[in-house]
Amino acid sequence: MGLEKFNPSLATHDLIQDLKWSPELREEFAANEATVLDRYLLRKDERHAIETRNFLALYDIGLHPYLGGQFARLIFGNEAGKGATVAVNKLVESLQGKGPVA
Amino acid sequence: MAEIVYAAGAPHAPGLIGLLEAAPADVKDVVTSTYRSLADAMASAKADVLIVFANDHLANSKVRAYPDFLIGMAAEHRGPYEWFKPWIGCEDYTVKGSPEVAAALFDGMTRRGIRMFAQNENLKFDDNISVPVLLTNVAGSGIPMVPVLQNCTVPPIPDQRRCYEVGKALGDFIRNDLPADMRVALLGSGGLSHEPGGARYYFIDEEFDRWFLDLVASGDHEKLLNELTLEKMEAAGSGGTAELLSWVVVLGAIGSKPGKSFGYTVHKDFKCGVGGVLWDMSPNMPKSRAAA
Repeated sequence: MGLEKFNPSLATHDLIQDLKWSPELREEFAANEATVLDRYLLRKDERHAIETRNFLALYDIGLHPYLGGQFARLIFGNEAGKGATVAVNKLVESLQGKGPVA
Repeated sequence: MAEIVYAAGAPHAPGLIGLLEAAPADVKDVVTSTYRSLADAMASAKADVLIVFANDHLANSKVRAYPDFLIGMAAEHRGPYEWFKPWIGCEDYTVKGSPEVAAALFDGMTRRGIRMFAQNENLKFDDNISVPVLLTNVAGSGIPMVPVLQNCTVPPIPDQRRCYEVGKALGDFIRNDLPADMRVALLGSGGLSHEPGGARYYFIDEEFDRWFLDLVASGDHEKLLNELTLEKMEAAGSGGTAELLSWVVVLGAIGSKPGKSFGYTVHKDFKCGVGGVLWDMSPNMPKSRAAA
């Protein structure tokens, strides 16, 4: 699974970039995810994939894998050898066919 | 005429800092000796400025407005950017910049038909700049740095031939636009094989890595340009291995030179092959091993 399905117009890319760049938005996302998602022009299937933590579905509709890895860390943890390892394993689990990994 | 006195390529996997202590001894030995050798050579070169090319990793720009090359013009470079700090597991650092060289680079590359972008504000650095800065002691050495973050992962990606052309223009800029007697160091930061964010996140292509290290150390650039295709790099780790294009820029700038590798190692937790190359910039060296 590489870059062949990449859809540069996907709004999830902006969401992930904004989350990386804003601690305040990360706090809000953790406390009230739906309110944050409402601000982005997400397709119905795109939003559902985010809400169910279905990375496989997100990649199938065009999420860039590098940002997918970062989205997993934003959700599951970002600390070296700890949360970041959980995030990688959850992501791989989803991409290897398990779909939702919430 | 300014002179390139140092040229090297090295990976920047975040685990090389945050997960190094827990790595097996033989892995630590290769990592430590590689970066110590590169740091020692950089110090010996007595460069006036270090220009680092590295994958931007989508850290600074949105996908819909993504530059292929972004020059950091700040007078002082601070890193890592806040969100990357726990992931890398490193402390804050500050490196002196060179706004004059950065501005000259932007102007010089533009005049040579190479579209680059430049930013006065501090760029957001992740492992791309943070790992080499810390492991080669750039912060401690006091050498001013000009970072150039490049697009190695957002299609359409400038391929090996385009990056080599950019490197040739860079070499011409250094030799003809920078002040006479200025000593310039070049570092390509990235690789080796890895697939960040992919289904093969833990995959490391040892065969590819060893082939690549031998090839770039040989100085055979014709073979490099014919065989180091985006397709080959994607097969060796999608979305990650192609940051070896930063090494290709450096190679384009220096031309065919033999290089020295400091060994190769793999460690699952790094999720990336590790090995560096230092090219011989002494003026009397043969162009390549093949030609020697």
